[in-house]
Amino acid sequence: MTFIAETAGDLRPRRSILLSPEVAKIALGVVLILLTLYGQQLYGMATASWRLDPSLRGATGPSNVIVVLDFQPERFHSERIQQYGAFAGRDGGLNRIRLRNVRPARLRELAAIPWVARIEPMK
Amino acid sequence: MSTGAASVGVSPRLQRPEPALAALRRMFGGFKILLPFAVLIAIWWIIQAVGNFPPNVLVSPAAVWRAFVYLVTHGVMAEYASTSLWMIGIATVLSMLIGVPIGFAVGVNRYAAHALEGFLRFLQGISGIAWLPLAIIWFGFSHTTTLIVVMYTLIVPIIFNTMIGVRAIPENYALALRSLGASRLRLVKDVYLPGAMPSIVVGMRLGMGYGWRALIAAEMLVRKGGLGDLIFGARTFGQIDRIIVGMIMIGCLYIIVDRLIVQPIENLTVARWGMLRK
Amino acid sequence: MSVPSATLKPRSAAHHAAGWLAWRLLPATPFVLVLLLWMIGWYIFQPIPSTLPSVAAVIEAIWERAVSGELWTHIAASLSRLFVGAAVGIVTGIVFGFIAGLYRNVSEFLNPLVIFFNAISGIVWLPLMISWLGIGHALAIFVIWNTVFFIVFQNTVLGVQLVPQVFEQGIQSLGGGRWETIRSVTFPGALPYVLTGIRSGLGFGWRALIAAELVGAPEGLGQMIFAAAEFHRSDVIIAGCLIIGVIAIAMDRWLLAPIEQRTIQRWGLVIDTAKES
Repeated sequence: MTFIAETAGDLRPRRSILLSPEVAKIALGVVLILLTLYGQQLYGMATASWRLDPSLRGATGPSNVIVVLDFQPERFHSERIQQYGAFAGRDGGLNRIRLRNVRPARLRELAAIPWVARIEPMK
Repeated sequence: MSTGAASVGVSPRLQRPEPALAALRRMFGGFKILLPFAVLIAIWWIIQAVGNFPPNVLVSPAAVWRAFVYLVTHGVMAEYASTSLWMIGIATVLSMLIGVPIGFAVGVNRYAAHALEGFLRFLQGISGIAWLPLAIIWFGFSHTTTLIVVMYTLIVPIIFNTMIGVRAIPENYALALRSLGASRLRLVKDVYLPGAMPSIVVGMRLGMGYGWRALIAAEMLVRKGGLGDLIFGARTFGQIDRIIVGMIMIGCLYIIVDRLIVQPIENLTVARWGMLRK
Repeated sequence: MSVPSATLKPRSAAHHAAGWLAWRLLPATPFVLVLLLWMIGWYIFQPIPSTLPSVAAVIEAIWERAVSGELWTHIAASLSRLFVGAAVGIVTGIVFGFIAGLYRNVSEFLNPLVIFFNAISGIVWLPLMISWLGIGHALAIFVIWNTVFFIVFQNTVLGVQLVPQVFEQGIQSLGGGRWETIRSVTFPGALPYVLTGIRSGLGFGWRALIAAELVGAPEGLGQMIFAAAEFHRSDVIIAGCLIIGVIAIAMDRWLLAPIEQRTIQRWGLVIDTAKES
């Protein structure tokens, strides 16, 4: 009789491996890591259309744009932005960066950056 | 609970598998885990408020929080943290792919294992960081350099522990299967691999601990991205708030990877195949 | 069948001795192999000395510095920092470890903090500490203290908590007070774990020291390597690395292992050697 009571507590039926605390921890850990790696990217991609000026949306060739940030950029931000096109100086403020010859694919990527406020066409 | 009388009226709760959420909550000790940190932050707040330190020496927890929010919303934290995570991930996978087979090849032979043991300890004594200047001369200030140094640090414990794991398997198991006509491949699959698995996973966990530290140190010197670069760069500008954010991030990420992913894997492996350990 | 037969041939004494010698010399083979590959590779490929120096160049670099005294200055600087930092780390680790180990609520409260600070122990403190302490001895000593403290602390707590209650109760039933219990039961009982912690801590501490010196220090082996990198003196770098490794092995084998052996033998307690260094 003691045997039955002991096994009820000790042995877990196989199917509960999936619900064991270990697997729960792994799932949580993986989610957190994926969030760190891709969270911002996904958010940026989801909101990309809000950043791109309507006139630039259907661009088929290289465009000249002004990338507008709503904060004073650090070297980090300038460096990243300048990889998307040919740097052509600032447009009034340090937070308005002019880029020439931005290819359509790169333009879409640029729009998907979450900390970019707007992308306007260069006049 | 272990008396015979209980067996009749055993509550149904004992026999249902625990729902994961309840298990999660129980495992975090009902947020009791946060209390020590709250106390620490309170002490920090008081010291900073009373001590009148200049901002390039000590900042308040509030300032650190503001820096954290800034770094996250401006894409900086995501990029630097991702670089570090990718680096440790790739280094771990590559080190396992190279180290485990080597460990196996050496472990099965008593003489090879004895020969290599001292050499591995010697290599471990020279931490990967000591080789960093040489790696910089060879590969420049690049991600390759960081990867090589981190892999060096990771691979030694993996080889070592794989060796130990293989050597700990009693000969009888292999002999028993061989006497039944098993091929070498079958032996590896059914005896050596499961038998050595717990040790291999322990080796991976140890290696990742060393590797994460080596990664941060390497990033501080190579300065091509990653959290080590973040905190070391912030020092140049006296941005103590960012340094502290970086340090906290380094700690948190390591704890997430080690305690939420690697340690459970270790526990599951030992639970499944740990019969051979004493 | 493929079951090996266990026939025992009688072996001569000379055969035994030769076998014993071969076994002892076996660990040297990887070193010899690497050395040979290095020499042969250098001869065949003739790389630029700054990429891969010849074995002779490395030996010469060591000799030069040994003769001029520079080598000993570096070694002394590094070792002295190690010992000061480790001494403070060991003492604080044992004291706090005992306190935490003896009072369960203290150890439970501190546990999350210890886990977190252990995750950032060592060189992660470097940027902050450079801002506070500047570059110098204090920096390196802090990094070592930090590394050693957490390891010794955790092992001590474990050791104290694992002392079987039965022993403590035995002493108390014979009339021993608190201090008596700690002195004659808890302390010897926890000692194997404490020593494992010290041994582990010193290994980690040595490695953390080199990393700290690489970033910035007045002298020391790490600094020697770092300075050599600026002039592309890979012979000095390799020399430095080899010396670091030799000291690590020597320290572990001839200083720490014997201490551990003697105390374990004396108290006759068995530990599972957590090979963490």
